[in-house]
Amino acid sequence: MAEIQKSWRDGALRLSTLPLLLLMGLFFVIPLIMTALLSFQGTQYYRLVWTWDLKVWTDVFSQVHYWTIMWRTLMMALVCTVLCTILAIPIAYGMLHRLSRWSDHITLLMVFAFLTDAVLKTFGWVLFLDRSGVLNGTLEAIGFPPAAVNVLFTPNATMIGMVYNLLPYTIFTIALSMARIDGDLVLAARDAGASRLRAFIEVTLPLAKPGIWAGAVLVFVLSLGVFLEPKVMGGGTSPLAAELIRQSFETRVNWPLGAALTLVLIVIGAAALTVAGAVALWQARRVVND
Amino acid sequence: MVSPIIKATGIDKYYGTYRALTDISLEVANGEFLALVGPSGCGKTTLLKILAGFEDLSAGSLVIDGEDMTEIPASARPTRMVFQKLALFPHKTVAQNIGFPLHLAKRPKPEIDAAVRRMLELMHLKESYLNRYPHELSGGEQQRVALARSMVSQPPVLLLDEPMSALDAKLKKSLQAELKHLHRHVGTSFVHVTHDLEEAMMLADRICVMRAGKIVQLGEPSEIYYRPANAFVAGFIGDTNLLPAKVTREGDAFRFACDVLDCANPIIAADQVAPGVAAGADAALMIRPEMLRLLAQGESADCTISGTVNEFFIRGASIQYRIAAAETEIVMDIPGTSTLPAKQGDPVKLGLALGDLFAVEA
Repeated sequence: MAEIQKSWRDGALRLSTLPLLLLMGLFFVIPLIMTALLSFQGTQYYRLVWTWDLKVWTDVFSQVHYWTIMWRTLMMALVCTVLCTILAIPIAYGMLHRLSRWSDHITLLMVFAFLTDAVLKTFGWVLFLDRSGVLNGTLEAIGFPPAAVNVLFTPNATMIGMVYNLLPYTIFTIALSMARIDGDLVLAARDAGASRLRAFIEVTLPLAKPGIWAGAVLVFVLSLGVFLEPKVMGGGTSPLAAELIRQSFETRVNWPLGAALTLVLIVIGAAALTVAGAVALWQARRVVND
Repeated sequence: MVSPIIKATGIDKYYGTYRALTDISLEVANGEFLALVGPSGCGKTTLLKILAGFEDLSAGSLVIDGEDMTEIPASARPTRMVFQKLALFPHKTVAQNIGFPLHLAKRPKPEIDAAVRRMLELMHLKESYLNRYPHELSGGEQQRVALARSMVSQPPVLLLDEPMSALDAKLKKSLQAELKHLHRHVGTSFVHVTHDLEEAMMLADRICVMRAGKIVQLGEPSEIYYRPANAFVAGFIGDTNLLPAKVTREGDAFRFACDVLDCANPIIAADQVAPGVAAGADAALMIRPEMLRLLAQGESADCTISGTVNEFFIRGASIQYRIAAAETEIVMDIPGTSTLPAKQGDPVKLGLALGDLFAVEA
C-alpha cells in the first residue's frame, strides 16, 4: 500500500499516465457525462429540447416494459457467462494437456473464427439452424423427422449465438492462466495420491482462478451489450437492452430516453460486477481463515 | 540383501529414437539410502521419474514393495517424490500442504492434524507456520515443508530429485546433515538424485554412478572413492590426479611405469587395478590429493614426485598445493598449519605410499 501511495507523488509517473488519462477522459468520462446530461432533456417533434427535467426518468421508472427487458438482459448475460465459463474450462484444459500437440492448430482455428465478422458468423448460424437448414437436413438424412431441431428465432437461439461469439474470450483467458501453472504441482498432487480429476480440482482449477474470473467479467460485460444475436438469431421476438437502446435512438428518435436506458444498463452491469467482486473477495478471505 | 524394496531389472527408456536409459538393473534394500549420481543428462532424473511413475519404461521390469509397477499409476505407488523446485501448492497453507496426502486418503481430520504436527516437530518447523503460505517462508523452511509433505503418510520409498540444488552452501550443509538424521530416524528407503558426488558420499549408504543412460558403478561411498570403476568415476569428485601409466602383469601383482612417479619398487597388488584395465594397455594411476604429503629434506617414501609450487590455496582445515611436475599439474591437499611449509616457486618433493595407488582405464 505504501508504494501505491508514494507513486502519486512521483511526477514522472504521473506524466507517463497522461496519455492514458487523456484517452479515458476524452472517449470515456466525457461521453458518459454527456450521456448523463442528455437524460435530463426532452424531445418535441423529433427534436432535442433542453428542458432540464426528470420526465424521461419518471418515464423509465414507471414503464414495466423497460425493466422486463433489463431483467431479461441481465439473466441472459449471467447464463451466457456461466455457460462460457463451464465450456471453456475443459476446452482450455484439453487444449493444453490432452491435445497439446495440436494446440497451435486449434488456437489458429479459434483466432480465425474469432476474427471473422460477427454478422457473417451469426447469419451462418441462421443457415445452419434453419428449419430446412444444414442441421435439420443432415438429421433428416439419417432418419430423424423433418425439422427436428426448431430453435431458430427463440431466446435459445440467441443464447447459442452469444455463447458461440463470446466463448473465445473465456477459452483464451483460462488457457493463459492454466499454461502458467507449474506442471510439477500437478505431478506433486498425483504423487501424493490424487487421481487426474482430483489433481485438477485441487490444483489446476484453484490456480486458474484469475483467468476464470477475468474471462467471466469480459463475457459478462460484452453479453450485456449484444444486439446482433437477439435480432438475427432470436428473430427480434424477445429484444435485449442494446436493441431497446438502439430503438430509442434510431426508431423513436428519443435521445434522452436512450441515454437514460444506457445509464440504467451501465449501473446494472456495474452492480453485478461489484457483487461478484465482493463474493470473490469474501471467498478468498474465507479460505485464508479456514 | 534380504528384501529389496525396489528391484529394477533391465530397464530401457526411449524418447522417440533417443535412448535415455540402457539396461538399468539395480536393487534398493529396505531402509537403504541410495544416491543416483551423474552429470546432467545422464538419465538419473529419468530413472527417478520411472520409479515415481511419471514416465513409462520402454523395456524391463520394476518391482516396488513386492508389487509389479508396470500398470500402477503414480498416484497409487508406494513412493513419494521431493521435487527439485519443491512444488509446494502456493494456494494451500503449510498445514494443508503437509496434510495433503492424508487429505486425499480421506483420513479423519484429527488424525491429519496430529500427523501434520508430528511432521512439524520432526522438521523443526514452528507451529505458527501452520497457517502461512509457502511464499511466506524462507528457502530452507520451504524445503522442510516439502520433505514433511512427502513423509507424512510414511511411504516405504522417498524419491528426492536434487531438492537442495537451489540452496546456498551453508544451508545445504545443515540440511544434508538433517536429511541423514531424518533417514536414520524414519527408516524409509531414500533414493536421492544429485550431480554432487560429495553430497552423495556424505549421505548415501550406496552410490550409483550413471553416465549416458548407463550405470557405470554401483557401490559404497568408499568403493566409489578409492576403487572407482574407471577414469570417469575417479575424476567425478574433487581435483583428482590421474597420471598416464602403463601396467603389466607380474605374477599375482602388477608392475607399472609412470613418468611422473619415481618409485623404488613400482609394483601394486591385483586389487589395486580396476577390472577393466588390460595388461599392457594405457592406464591411469589415480592419486587423491589428500594421499600426497610434503617430504622434508632427506625424508623418503615408496614413491616420490619432484616439482615446483605453481599455486597454493589456504582453505582453513587444509592447504591445497598445485605443483608443476613433468609437464602435468599435481594437486595435493595437506592439513592446514599456521606456518606455510612451501611458497610459490619453491622446489618440493612429494611422498606417496604404494598402497594408496589405484589404476584405472585411461
